[in-house]
Amino acid sequence: MLDCKLYFQPESLTVALDLLAKAEKRLLPLAGGTDIVPAMSKNKLNVAGLVDLSKIQELHQIKIEGNEISLGSLCTFQEIETSHLIRTKVPLLADAAGLVGSPQIRNAGTVGGNIANASPAADTVTALIALDADVRLRSTAYARTMSLKELLCGAGKTRILPQEIITEITFKILQPGSKGGFIKLGRRKALAIARMNMALIFSVTEGRINFARVGLGAVGPNPCRSNALENTLIGQEPSDSLVEDFVMEAEREVARMLGSRPSAAYKCEAVKGIARDILSSLFSSSEMVVE
Amino acid sequence: MAEFHLEMKVNGKPIVLDVDPGLRLLDVLRDILHLTGTKEGCGEGECGACSVILNGKLVDSCLVLAPQANGQEVITIEGIAQNGELDSLQKAFLEAGAVQCGYCTPGMILAAKVLLDHNSTPSRLEISKSISGNICRCTGYTKIIQAVEIAASRIATKEGADHA
Ligand code: FES
Ligand code: FES
Repeated sequence: MLDCKLYFQPESLTVALDLLAKAEKRLLPLAGGTDIVPAMSKNKLNVAGLVDLSKIQELHQIKIEGNEISLGSLCTFQEIETSHLIRTKVPLLADAAGLVGSPQIRNAGTVGGNIANASPAADTVTALIALDADVRLRSTAYARTMSLKELLCGAGKTRILPQEIITEITFKILQPGSKGGFIKLGRRKALAIARMNMALIFSVTEGRINFARVGLGAVGPNPCRSNALENTLIGQEPSDSLVEDFVMEAEREVARMLGSRPSAAYKCEAVKGIARDILSSLFSSSEMVVE
Repeated sequence: MAEFHLEMKVNGKPIVLDVDPGLRLLDVLRDILHLTGTKEGCGEGECGACSVILNGKLVDSCLVLAPQANGQEVITIEGIAQNGELDSLQKAFLEAGAVQCGYCTPGMILAAKVLLDHNSTPSRLEISKSISGNICRCTGYTKIIQAVEIAASRIATKEGADHA
């Protein structure tokens, strides 16, 4: 049994924020529970109690607002994977959500929880980093928006304050015709060293790549953009030799990021495989095109 | 410690309990409701032995706190036989020899049930995907997949007959 002294299940965001604001000891927002519950069973989390957000309907929506897509923080991976809007407008995010954990984890785990836990290997986070996503936070007193990149500040660490809740994750709609993909290695926690993932988005005009974004996960403490890899692509024509340049640069980038860490030898080699697979399949297939 | 007032439906029956909010759904099912068909393997979301159907979706009950099931409908392996007759998946698992030690079986059957409820003509790939969160140490999966195929074909024949 977990040591959970206080448990609240508010039905509105206002009540949830109020609970966090008035708490004397630290209360933790609970989303799907797929990370928090096992961490608590192993006594790895020290909190006075939980504020269960699952009954707050307004946090479950996926919608378009102007030129942005907004994901409610409580959307599960399964909801993202199967959302028509996400599949057509951001296929790489649908793919990333579909590759998280197991069907059971995808039915319970949420995108907001994935961000708040700041796991180095979080799949949807790598895709959202490549999408340059923003995170909207609310407290009783204010609302603020922070870029996802800035919000993550180390393995398991974020700049979310104790009285704040992530309400939405937003990002700009991609240009129709651009392509994007997501790839990962290693599914099980037990194979932690083998975990690595990459998200890639690019568009081509007049035969040349004019826009590229690359997210890399499980290499640094948090998923991050790789400018070096993006610059390898921008201005170039899609070709087999460009794939090889990209693969070489991926190896150099991972070597730079990991330095002399024990996993470096393995990951420098492994990243070549995922870099080659993702770019060559995006160059050759007509799928994964944004509508 | 404040108890949590939990109301849920388990296998069609309304359940009202005051529980310690630190209990997992798995603990309530096994230790309070004595539904011990749901197993605990890893306790951390890797093996699927504790799978149950929560509001129509397969979840690992070792990762769900009991209060999260408040107001929801839970189906466990004990809830799928109808009027004393085994579900077609249960029969098919027995016939195909898909049960060895049996520890993974309740979770496997519930995973396959969610699949067949939505898709009665699944491909092998769809079957493998549907049980990809469930580990079996004994069978090598081949017979489990065969069992799901047998159950699917029976359901399809039965549906065909009903429509005729
Ligand atoms: S016991 Fe729940 S997934 Fe293994
Ligand atoms: S039958 Fe023994 S684990 Fe599957």
